[in-house]
Amino acid sequence: MDSTSPCLDFAAIGHQDSWQNITAFVNGMRTPDHERLSSRKIKDIFSFIPPRDLFRVKVKSITGAEINGVYIETFIDPDKLEAQFARANINKVTNAAAHAIKMNTRIATLGGFTSIVLEGNLNSFAPGKTKFTTGNTLTAAYIVKGIEGAAIQLKINLLESDVLIIGATGDIGMACVHYLKNKVKKLLLCARNNQQLEKLAKELAKQNKQVEYSICLPDLISAADVIICVASSTGIKLADCKKNVLICDAGYPKNMDTKIEKNVDCKIFHGGMGQVLGGFNFNPDYSNYIYHYPAPYVIHGCILEAMILAFENKIENYSVGKGNITIDKMEEIYKSGLKHGITIAPFFSAKGLW
Amino acid sequence: MEAVKKVAITLEEFNVISDIFSQAITAELIGMSNFASLAETIDDPHEKMEAVEHANSERMHAEGFMAYAKKAKLKINVNMDSEYWGNVRNQFLSYAHKKDFIACLIIQEVMLESFAVSMYTDVGNALGGEAGELFLNIADEEKEHLEHSSDLLRAELKKDPTAFINKFEELHFNCMTILAEFTATTDLRGHCGVCNGDCMKGSLHHIALDIVNMRGNAMALYARALDNIGIPGEKSVVWIARLPA
Repeated sequence: MDSTSPCLDFAAIGHQDSWQNITAFVNGMRTPDHERLSSRKIKDIFSFIPPRDLFRVKVKSITGAEINGVYIETFIDPDKLEAQFARANINKVTNAAAHAIKMNTRIATLGGFTSIVLEGNLNSFAPGKTKFTTGNTLTAAYIVKGIEGAAIQLKINLLESDVLIIGATGDIGMACVHYLKNKVKKLLLCARNNQQLEKLAKELAKQNKQVEYSICLPDLISAADVIICVASSTGIKLADCKKNVLICDAGYPKNMDTKIEKNVDCKIFHGGMGQVLGGFNFNPDYSNYIYHYPAPYVIHGCILEAMILAFENKIENYSVGKGNITIDKMEEIYKSGLKHGITIAPFFSAKGLW
Repeated sequence: MEAVKKVAITLEEFNVISDIFSQAITAELIGMSNFASLAETIDDPHEKMEAVEHANSERMHAEGFMAYAKKAKLKINVNMDSEYWGNVRNQFLSYAHKKDFIACLIIQEVMLESFAVSMYTDVGNALGGEAGELFLNIADEEKEHLEHSSDLLRAELKKDPTAFINKFEELHFNCMTILAEFTATTDLRGHCGVCNGDCMKGSLHHIALDIVNMRGNAMALYARALDNIGIPGEKSVVWIARLPA
């Protein structure tokens, strides 16, 4: 593979979110002649593997157009996503980006945790023709439009609702704040960095928006009618919630279902997810091991953003940096997706479809 | 060994260092023999001479390790017919007898050199001193072999990608399976026949090493070597996933 290789329309750079998935995936690559490997044995080797392409993806638009892409695995250890492992993880993402460039891909998206690199500094990638996007604009659009759709379905009036955003100062969190600030009664903002939180809250207060903020989730949670979680759920516990609270789990990995206290009466959905009505297929087909959704052709919004940009031939560094997502861009990418039959996924949680 | 001279080392450290040198000397002698056999498969006189030169370079590496071992009074056991090294050698010879130059190059210069470069680097960094420097210098020289072969193999891949990848896959499972078993946390085929006592892998912590990291680093370098040659990632990942662990 080099610059003379045929051009690929897009690359999705990503990582697995649990050792359970990785174990299934690795054993899926082994034939029945091979002994099944335990998670422990796989852990001994997995995160040493340099980033590489695992499978090709063909995506169909409802217009009849087709695009070809590739999934590049970073081999990041799902148990090592914290700040102390940032340097090693950033190296892996940078090498995966270099692989996308080497494979001559037109646009590459950085899924899940890997997007933090592009939220920081685009210059960290080797020069090449490949454009990069975090996919955060479409993810944010799917989150807020998901909230609007679910609210209608559950007869929740957002204008009379207090909406809690956990991870409010992140790139996606801020996009949700700005989209929802004129559509809800009050914003409750939670994040780990008090300084950034205060700055955001002051900015909203200047615009006469009702806002409360805290780095401590229990300070805010009991007032929330709607909760959007775009943070990593490590250390988050959802307790003392209002009855019938609507929860959008838009973090990575999506495991809020396991963080909810038993007595909480809520409706939860996995947010930021989309669906390709025209369908897609993988080659080699590992879908038995990596596809865990209760509806067909469901995929993360961040990956769909690159697919939509490829269909639209809009090859540019679309979502880069932090705090640059505008409502106009969210609408633009969302509407572009609809032209190709790419839309919000049906509502589902770990228990299945709503 | 300065490190040995300056610091009173424990019996456990002495034993594990002795075993490491035993493995390294055996490995270099296997490399020397492989290059000598490789020379027989080559018709081009210049390439034949180059193979002999490589064999001599491996001989010098073995001599370097032996000289140090003698100076440090290490307990050395060389066994080229041992379980793993003997099997690797037999694999190599089976292709050398068929005059399959490319197969020989892949086994010696990609598979064995990837492991040598990576493991010598880890050992060199862990030992420090004169012994460490010796391992690091030899790792640098072995790296040149690895890079030299990549250029040749890239050209070979371009000629007939399907045939080349099929051949590489066969060699991977024939040879890398042995190396994967050899470097697994526990010896998958029993005692290696080179270590003096019990398997040294359980004692590496005495010199701040561990087999999981050494094996992982070696496999990573092998994977990068495959990338560098142009083997598609979707192939190499499956090959690695199918190795014993």
